[in-house]
Amino acid sequence: MSISDTATPAASAAQPSRAPSPSAVTKALVAKAGATRRRNAAKWKLRIGAVCTLVVIIPILLAQVLPLPDANHQDLSARRLAPLMDGHLFGTDQLGRDLLSRVLHGGQVSLTIGILAVVVSGAIGIILGAAAGYFGGWVDTVVSRVLEAQMSLPLLMMLLLVVALFGPSIPVITFVIAIAQWPEVARLTRSMVLVEREKPYVSAARILGLHRIQILIQHIIPNVIKQATLVVLLLLAQAVLLESALSFLGAGPQRPFATWGRIISDGQDYITTSWWMVTLPGLVIVLMVVGVNLLGDGLRDRPRRKKKGA
Amino acid sequence: MTNYILKRLGQGLLTVFLTVSTVFILIRLAPGDPAVSYAGPLATTEQLARVREQFGLDRPVLEQYWIFLQQLFTGNLGTSYSFQAPAMQVVSERMPYTLTLATAAILLTAVVAIPLGVWMARRPDTNRELGVNVLTIAGQSMPDFWTGIMLLTGFAVLIPLFPASGFATWGGLVLPTVTIAILQIALISRMVRREMTANFAAPYLTVARSRGVGGPALTWRYAMGNSAIPVFTALGTRFAAMLNGVVVVEVVFAWPGVGSLIVRALETRDYPLIQATVLLTSLLAVAVQLVIDLAYPLLDPRVRLGKAAAA
Repeated sequence: MSISDTATPAASAAQPSRAPSPSAVTKALVAKAGATRRRNAAKWKLRIGAVCTLVVIIPILLAQVLPLPDANHQDLSARRLAPLMDGHLFGTDQLGRDLLSRVLHGGQVSLTIGILAVVVSGAIGIILGAAAGYFGGWVDTVVSRVLEAQMSLPLLMMLLLVVALFGPSIPVITFVIAIAQWPEVARLTRSMVLVEREKPYVSAARILGLHRIQILIQHIIPNVIKQATLVVLLLLAQAVLLESALSFLGAGPQRPFATWGRIISDGQDYITTSWWMVTLPGLVIVLMVVGVNLLGDGLRDRPRRKKKGA
Repeated sequence: MTNYILKRLGQGLLTVFLTVSTVFILIRLAPGDPAVSYAGPLATTEQLARVREQFGLDRPVLEQYWIFLQQLFTGNLGTSYSFQAPAMQVVSERMPYTLTLATAAILLTAVVAIPLGVWMARRPDTNRELGVNVLTIAGQSMPDFWTGIMLLTGFAVLIPLFPASGFATWGGLVLPTVTIAILQIALISRMVRREMTANFAAPYLTVARSRGVGGPALTWRYAMGNSAIPVFTALGTRFAAMLNGVVVVEVVFAWPGVGSLIVRALETRDYPLIQATVLLTSLLAVAVQLVIDLAYPLLDPRVRLGKAAAA
C-alpha cells in the first residue's frame, strides 16, 4: 500500500532520486480522502454556481445596454416567431414582443424584488432573532410565538390575499416576500446567539462594563453574521421562486415590465404550438436559482479558513 | 396527557382564531368593493347600496366583526357571493380533492425521499452522491408551475399518457402529484441526508457497530430511529401546509381543490368564501400538527408528552 505509486516503470525509475516518504499516506490516498473530495466538490459547486448565476445576471444587468428591441414593443406581423428567427434569439410571443428582451427586463424587476426582499427579511430576522436569543425572557417569548404563529399560517394564501387586496405593486410584493422569509433567518440567528452568549468573551465584555446592547451589536452579532448571511443567500433563490409563483398567479407587478412568472403564464396558452414561450423563461429561472443554490451550498461546505494571526 | 392535548387544542384554536381575525381585518382594510364585483361595472348607486345592504357591508366594521364572531361559533359563515351557496359547504365540497392530492404527494415524497436521503448519507463524498446532490439542488430550484406545465406538455399533450386537467380518473392524479413531489423530494431527501450523516458520525453508532450490529438494522433501527422525529415532523408540516391548498399546482392542472378556489374567491372579493376557506384549512392544519405531536411517543419512547419543555 505504501509504495502503491510505483505502479508504472517511469515512476519506479524516478524512485531512487526522490527522498523516501516518511508517511504511508500517498498523494493518491490524500486525493481519495473524504475531506479532499468534499473540498473539491465545494470548489466545483462554487465555480458552477458562479457561472450559472453570472450567465443570467450579467445580461439582466446589461438589458438596457444590449441591442434588444423594447420589451413592450408589439409587432403583430412578427407573432410567435421561433427562436433564432429574424434576430430574435428567444423568438417572440403572441403579440410579437421579443421574448429575450421581456425575460431580461422582467428579470430586472424580479431580481430587484428578490434582493430587496432578502435584505429586508435578513435585517428583520437578524435583529429580532439576536434580540430574542440574547435578552431571553419576554422578548424571546414574543418573538418565538410570532414565529410559531407564522409557521402555522397558510403562507402562500396569505401572500396572495395581501397582494390581491393591496395591489401588485413592487413595494407590496417585496414586503410580502420579506415577511414570508424572516422567520428562517430569525430562528437561525436566535439559536446561534443562544450558543454565543454563553461564551467567555461575553462574560469578559460584561465585566468590562459594556452595555448589553453594545455587547450584542459589537461582539455577538459579528460572530454570527457570516452564517446568517449564508442563509440569506439561499433565501434569495427562494425569493425569486416565490416572486415568480406570485406573478404566475397574476399577483405580480405589471409595470414597468411583466416578471418571469407572468411571462410563463402568458405563454401557457400557446404551449402546444410555441414551446419556447414557456420553456425558455423557465430555464432562465432554473439556471439562476440553481446557480444561487450551488453558491450557497458551496460556501457552506467550503472548509473554514483559519483566522489570520490565529 | 389529557391536559397536554387540551392545552395544545387551546393553543391551536387560538391560532385559528387569530388567523381568521387577521384575514377579517385585512380584507376590510384593503381597497376594493365586493359589491362592485358582484353587481358588475354597470350597476347604479342604488343597486350597489342594495347589494351592500344584502351582504351586511353597510354596517360599521365592528358590528360586522361581531356578526362574524357569532357566525364563527355556529359554523355558518354566510352565503358565498359568487356561488350563491353556503360558503362552508362550497369549501367542504372542494376539500376532499385537496386532501387526495396532498396525501398522494406526501406518500410519494416519503417513499422516495427517505431511502434517497439514506442512500446519500451512506456514501458521503463520492461522485455518485455528488451527482444526486446536484440533482436535488436542481429539484428545489425549479418553479413548480413551470415543472407542472412541462410535465403537462410532455405527458399529456405530446405523449398522451395522462389526462391534462381535472380529476375525472385516477390517472389525473399522477401529474399533479409528481409536480408537487419533485420539490418535496428534493427538500426532504436533503434533510434526511443531513440527519443521517450526523447519526452515522455519532458515538452511539460506533458502539453499536463494535457490538456487531450491521447492515439494515444499523441503518434503519439505530440511525433512522434517532432521526424519526425530525423527519416525521418535516413530512407532517409539509402535509399540513399542502392542506392550505397547493395553490399553484391546482391552478396549473385545473384541480378542483381549495387552492384554485381561494384564487377565485380573492379575485371576486368573495368575503364569506375567503373566510370559510381560511377557517377550514387552518383548522385542518392545526389538527394535523396536533396529530404529529401526539405521534412523538410512538416514534421515540423517550418523549413524554406534557413534559415537552423538559424533554
